[in-house]
Amino acid sequence: MEYWNPYTETLPREKLENIEFSYFKNMFSYAKTHSALYRDKLKGIEADDIRTVHDISKIPFTYKEELRAYQEIEPHPYGGLLGVNIQDVTTFRQTSGTTGKPVYVPETYESWQWRIESWCHILYMAGFRPRHRVFLPFGYNVYVAFWEAHYASEKVGCELVPGGALDTRGRVNKIIEIRANAMMNTPTYGLHIAEEAMNMGIDPKSLGIERMLCAGEPMPEATRRKLEDLYGCETYDHIGGTEVCGWAGMCKVKKGLHIIEPFFLVEILDRETLTKEVGEGEQGVVVITPLGRRSFPFIRFNTNDVVVKGHSNCSCGRTSKMIMEVVGRADDLRKIRGVLFSPKTIEQLIREEFTDIVEYEIVVERKGIMDEITLRIETTPKLGKDDVENLTKRLKERSKVKTNLTCKVKVEPQGALPRYDLKAKRFKDMREVK
Amino acid sequence: MMDEIRKEIRNIEKSAERLKSLAKDNNAIRKNAEIILTYLYILKFITPVWGEEDQ
Repeated sequence: MEYWNPYTETLPREKLENIEFSYFKNMFSYAKTHSALYRDKLKGIEADDIRTVHDISKIPFTYKEELRAYQEIEPHPYGGLLGVNIQDVTTFRQTSGTTGKPVYVPETYESWQWRIESWCHILYMAGFRPRHRVFLPFGYNVYVAFWEAHYASEKVGCELVPGGALDTRGRVNKIIEIRANAMMNTPTYGLHIAEEAMNMGIDPKSLGIERMLCAGEPMPEATRRKLEDLYGCETYDHIGGTEVCGWAGMCKVKKGLHIIEPFFLVEILDRETLTKEVGEGEQGVVVITPLGRRSFPFIRFNTNDVVVKGHSNCSCGRTSKMIMEVVGRADDLRKIRGVLFSPKTIEQLIREEFTDIVEYEIVVERKGIMDEITLRIETTPKLGKDDVENLTKRLKERSKVKTNLTCKVKVEPQGALPRYDLKAKRFKDMREVK
Repeated sequence: MMDEIRKEIRNIEKSAERLKSLAKDNNAIRKNAEIILTYLYILKFITPVWGEEDQ
């Protein structure tokens, strides 16, 4: 069968939107009566005031800073974010804290199972089936996507192998030992496992991984294709967040991500005013309302994720709204010498055109009154001095074309740059370091 | 067919609620009945009714 839920995944748009509107109103009422945050925030707005889908835009956004502020009150540690009695909470989750103090996320058995059901769509779309032995090469710790992946794999019927407490070589050996044929990882770590396998004299293709689902970082198309080439496998992307769950996944057509409807009401709003839904092919900020999760209700959460909106007529037959590309987090887009710069552009360039670069880092510094970008790179050991010089020259030229900014290139010795298991931090804006 | 499915979900819900109330003094049975109700919440969520024609 092609779909996880053929009923909801192929509903006509109008019906899906009606269902989501009805679910939104229910969640609005629930949040207002069960969460301290929304008792305060939605004062003066009633569910009956939301008569049409256009009225949703009158409801204020929720920002991460508000979540942080309201979790400071009792009951500890969730405070005013809780939508249930604290005794009903069965699992603690938290955000990674990349952008500040972590947000603590309460899950009841029900809300966790709701998340897992949503995640099953992501896995099934990516072709994960009961025949797959799925290796998760991490100790998951606070990274909720991998916990979701773990439980959703079980629910879909795969055989799940947790791969924590091993180093990368140990994981390569484990994949061989148990004959894992599917894997879920960050794109960065997928590349690193392949690199380490090659250092061990093992062709990553011989590992037998036939399917890979990536999480945790925006993945340029060139990186996705590189993973496919390295492992000889099908590689899929998805997007999600600790607060909201995985909310969109890639089908076998591999042209964008399907939003998991009707689990989420997803608005993609213009970046300047956040008031208008953008058109197909335009960039916008994602605002999400999970429509059935009661332990931690939130309404119109501004994720700060910037995406390119897609169509809703994928040849796979799903009728869900789509996003064509994840551009990155709005916080990652920086003005450098007056030009808007996205670190993802550099990643796309390196993965696509500079396959001899095995690791890189982007450093932005202020020198006097000028901002300066340095691309620190590590190349494969096989390159000679002339090759490295040519590569450096070409990277300077191509990065200028792609970003409209002049970048310095610094070649580092083997192993000088950090390798990452989970979220890679390859972009360092030193202008912010006081 | 969806009507039949929704009807069956409602039947199971009634049974699970009854099971829960019958087992007030038995943690194991009550908790398992509650877990059935959790999945019924999800089953209802993924079999939505969108309008009168579908009631």
